Amino acid sequence: MSSHSILSVKNLTVEFQTSEGLLRAVNNVSFDIPQGKTIGIVGESGSGKSVTSLAVMGLLQKPAARIPNGEIYFNGQDLLKFDEQQMRSLRGNDISMIFQEPMTSLNPVFKVGEQISEALRVHKNLSKKEAWDKAVYLMNQVGIPKPELSAHKYPHEMSGGQKQRVMIAMAISCEPKLLIADEPTTALDVTIQKQVLELLQKLQAEYKMSMMFITHDLGVIGDIADDVVVMYRSNVVEKNHAETIFQSAQHPYTKGLLACRPKLGANPKRLLTVSDFMTDSGEEKIVPVERVQVFDKEIELKESSPVLLEIDQLVTQFPIKGGLFGRTVDHFKAVDGVSFKLKKGQTLGLVGESGCGKTTLGRSILRLVEPSSGKIIYDGKDITHVHHEELRQLRKKMQIIFQDPYSSLNPRMTIADILMEPLNIHKVGANKNERFDMARELIEKVGLKSNHMGRYPHEFSGGQRQRICIARALMLKPEFVICDESVSALDVSIQAQVLNLLLDLQQEFGLTYIFISHDLGVVNFIADEVGVMYAGKIIEMDKASRIYKNAKQDYTRSLLSAIPKGITKNSMAPLI
Amino acid sequence: MKSNSLWKDAFYRLSKDKLALCALFIVVIYFLVAVMSGAGWIASSWSQEVGASNLAPSLDHLFGTDIFGRSVFQKLIRGTQVAMSVGVAAAVIAIPIGVILGALAGYFGGWVDDFVTWLYTTFSSVPNIMLLISITLILGKGIFSVYVALGATSWVNLCRLIRGEVMKHKEREYVQAAGAIGGGHFRKLFRHILPNVGHIIIINTSMQFQVAIKSEVILSYLGLGVQGEPSWGTMIDDAKLELVRGVWWQLAGATIAMFLILLAFNILGDALRDALDPKLKGK
Repeated sequence: MSSHSILSVKNLTVEFQTSEGLLRAVNNVSFDIPQGKTIGIVGESGSGKSVTSLAVMGLLQKPAARIPNGEIYFNGQDLLKFDEQQMRSLRGNDISMIFQEPMTSLNPVFKVGEQISEALRVHKNLSKKEAWDKAVYLMNQVGIPKPELSAHKYPHEMSGGQKQRVMIAMAISCEPKLLIADEPTTALDVTIQKQVLELLQKLQAEYKMSMMFITHDLGVIGDIADDVVVMYRSNVVEKNHAETIFQSAQHPYTKGLLACRPKLGANPKRLLTVSDFMTDSGEEKIVPVERVQVFDKEIELKESSPVLLEIDQLVTQFPIKGGLFGRTVDHFKAVDGVSFKLKKGQTLGLVGESGCGKTTLGRSILRLVEPSSGKIIYDGKDITHVHHEELRQLRKKMQIIFQDPYSSLNPRMTIADILMEPLNIHKVGANKNERFDMARELIEKVGLKSNHMGRYPHEFSGGQRQRICIARALMLKPEFVICDESVSALDVSIQAQVLNLLLDLQQEFGLTYIFISHDLGVVNFIADEVGVMYAGKIIEMDKASRIYKNAKQDYTRSLLSAIPKGITKNSMAPLI
Repeated sequence: MKSNSLWKDAFYRLSKDKLALCALFIVVIYFLVAVMSGAGWIASSWSQEVGASNLAPSLDHLFGTDIFGRSVFQKLIRGTQVAMSVGVAAAVIAIPIGVILGALAGYFGGWVDDFVTWLYTTFSSVPNIMLLISITLILGKGIFSVYVALGATSWVNLCRLIRGEVMKHKEREYVQAAGAIGGGHFRKLFRHILPNVGHIIIINTSMQFQVAIKSEVILSYLGLGVQGEPSWGTMIDDAKLELVRGVWWQLAGATIAMFLILLAFNILGDALRDALDPKLKGK
């Protein structure tokens, strides 16, 4: 092993014993992490990147997982020869880890200060008081306001970004030599993501740590990594310096990953996906020229089309309960006087951070949540107060695609049942066979096969499930669809495919979309007009291209600057 | 990958669990014995004298004879019929009450929830055995009162569990999605939510079954249960006087019969929970 590497992984192979046989999750993977440097490991879900990190931590579930060959050297010692006792003294002390979900990786019944102290007391033998003081110091380091007070808080009293900061404070508490960050920013809003990335960089310099940063998003890694390892289907397909990867990627998969993230400003009409660059078997393809051509949105705007939806001073509020008998003591305005008009065949993008009211606005328009005041005028008709049969008829025209493809499909129904249900409810189609044929036609339109119809949702990947959700929303041939963070839960490479699909379907069926997302890049790509939401209000609304070029509000500009640009931290060269 | 529904998947898991299969086998045997006894194919002549009084167990009389010279083995079989019928009856009464009240309370919330919560907290605030005794005293002794008494007490647990699960699932996006395509309350509750909490009913019933059997034994022991029929409870009651004279086989027989079925239901309940509860499943 090289003397400068803090961690050196050589020919690592990890296999899992499953009910369907032996599954190779990591295949002959080798890489080094030099002292004080950051290495980014990129790949889609299931590519083996997290399993690699768990192998380094010695956290693989035995006996299901086994390591038939490979070596993991940490500071010159082979970790695979360590026993559990030795590993335990290493974990949290010399190597520590930050997980993806800040919501679930903190223990809800302990104060955050106690949780940070715990590692210090275990590994550094500090007294309770000393550990607490150190915890407060660390919380200050990771930028949590008023650390003396915040240390007494419970996890539920903190925001997602703050919780992730607490996780980072825990991880660096023992001044580890190696920090493993497994998708630490995936669950966070873009603005918070940027802050967390900056914090990690600052701490790395301060503590002279090495870092292993795992993500599915090449854009994020450009901001932070020195070297990049690209994993695809259990194998390392490319590893190089970050600049080299961003400027001249060799492997078609890497090229696909770089191209599939929507960029601010200029984008091709359809996003490029990994499958444009390589065949299923991994061979390189030539990308057709017309696919790469940049498309200027402003030309195609259909100014003359009629207004389909008009929202006038819409307010949706929720009661805040308090007091001994749960009286309503106040109201929280999730949507606070929003007005806009949406033309037929257009896409309105709504952007904002979590909690800004964009989801509530979408559900209020569909009357899934009852608005408190204001007007919703759809196709010239006030639908704010329609009920029962009228509302049911309206559901045929207005549909929604939810964020989480895992929880929005009933796990006990087959795909055929899920797709035929809207037809059954609205008595569309003469009989079961006819409904089945309609469902089959649509499932092929969204890129799945008709023999998938008899299967259950858990047999599909996230991207496939989202396609099923899209098919369900389109079964009744609606005119208007709300996409509520519909691509946020997907890997960037899958996200591009789903966005392309939405665009294709819009063209084929003449759909009008409201596209809700926290990611301005995505919204900018898909929407004709963009509305920026903050605290229940739309603070800025303009053509997508103009928002990008000259945003008027500071808040919009901060959202724009938070988007990972896919520029490496050293070179500042734009990608592609 | 095979196309597996959760039920098939659960059955597959269960079939891998040897202990659970043994338990299932025992449960099935008990049911078969109960059905055959109920149909009069076996142990129909339990009340007839087959030998001298208080004969010790032998090859002729597996568990010996009682004070009247009746076969303890045949009495055990009759007792099995009583015990299993009580378990089934309690489930038949408790499941509809528990599921419907729990589902309505969890789904609609508000005053419906307040009412149901009030109802089951009232029921569960009274010690179960007191409730059982008072119901059988009101309705009069006999197997029918035992059915009603057990049904009336064992819905509470199920109702509480179903209410909680329905509340959880009500917020899930697939239920909202059903609303978005125009589905009404009835469809959301019965077509979407209930199939997703169905496993709770199975697990809970398997757990409640043994509670029902135990309660029947206790009631019969106290003389409030079945009349003129052998039950494990009355057998234990009889045996307590005979024990001093060294007649242990009646007690042993009833205890072993009870022990086996309770153990089997316990193991089966745990195995069902492992196989069906999605929380314990890997992603």
